[in-house]
Amino acid sequence: MSFSPIPSTTPAQETAARLESLAARLLTWGTRVSMALILVGVLGMLASGVDPITAISPPFSLAAIPGQIAALEPAGFLWAGLIVLVVLPLGRVVVSGAGFLAAGDRRLALVSALVILVIAISIIAALGLEG
Amino acid sequence: MIAGLVLLAGGVAAGVFGSLLGLGGGILIVPLLTLGFGLPLRVAVAVSLVSVIVTSSASAGVYLEKHVANLRLGMVLELFSASGALVGGLVAFMLPPNVLEGLFAALLIWVAVSMVRRKDPPKNGSAVVPAAASAETPGTGTFTDTLNGPGYRVHSLPLGMGGSLFAGLVSALLGVGGGIIKVPTMHLMMGVPLKVATATSNMMIGITAVSSAVIYLLRGQIDPYVAGPTAVGVFAGAMIGTRIAPRVDVRVLRWLFVVVLSYTAFQMGQKALGL
Repeated sequence: MSFSPIPSTTPAQETAARLESLAARLLTWGTRVSMALILVGVLGMLASGVDPITAISPPFSLAAIPGQIAALEPAGFLWAGLIVLVVLPLGRVVVSGAGFLAAGDRRLALVSALVILVIAISIIAALGLEG
Repeated sequence: MIAGLVLLAGGVAAGVFGSLLGLGGGILIVPLLTLGFGLPLRVAVAVSLVSVIVTSSASAGVYLEKHVANLRLGMVLELFSASGALVGGLVAFMLPPNVLEGLFAALLIWVAVSMVRRKDPPKNGSAVVPAAASAETPGTGTFTDTLNGPGYRVHSLPLGMGGSLFAGLVSALLGVGGGIIKVPTMHLMMGVPLKVATATSNMMIGITAVSSAVIYLLRGQIDPYVAGPTAVGVFAGAMIGTRIAPRVDVRVLRWLFVVVLSYTAFQMGQKALGL
């Protein structure tokens, strides 16, 4: 078997290539920000002698995170980094979907919207189970 | 403090192994946390899903920049893997822990067998595509044609959708990326070159993991004290693995990994059976 790439590309592939570069930058920088936040949290955790296995897990509260960060609590940095991390792949889908829509590719834009819809259903289902 | 450092080191090991062997870290992190630290399986799965997102975002950034991953195909298939993960994330809370442990042991054996049977890519290029497929110019007729990449045509899209749905389900239940299902599906069933399939799978596993990670997050199953050190370790390990890959004999590493997987499967199976 041999691999012989064909140089010709379609307009759809050219659009995808532009979006790939945009999505790549988002993922690369987002991961760095997320890891930096988590690293600060881990260092704070180690410095304050928290044992991750035996310590009680701090509850997740989106509203409490800014206050925890302002108070230099490790949990605030950890949660902020984890939230950025979880949002990143979604950001990639949103950016790609918007790009496909701008390029007139409605089918791929619809696919992006449906992916977001599935995530939204996950959130609603989780909140429903919680309630 | 010691436990935090051990978690960090475990994450580094999972990241190094994962990047050298083309796997997400989940297959190592779940046993480390359950068998090594005695954490409940659901907590381990949740932490593992976080690590899978780290691996996916870090590697997908590189693959997309180099235009190796097929963004269009990945987005279509991840709709199905995300749907599977949604179902899996909900079902995971209904199944008894020992059933999940048994399933994980079966997955470990499957991965070990896949590792034994895997052939090394040729030294002069890993992007192998059937000659007949590569000889065709990408078409623009059907929807499937719009998913073609430069030099290859995508086919059997329904099979890919089914495979992705199953991969998402397994990912959410067991906290793994699901690349072990997605890559063969795309490469062997859909005619996607191996290198592109691997890169596209890496991109997809992020969304797959997010679909179920939000369920674990909102149900209070993600412990940031455990997830934090593990995630940072996996990130560092993946970077180390990428750098040392050219100097490591992956065949030796693979056999070592098979032994570790087999032993872990035995341990996990015993736990599932309550022995």
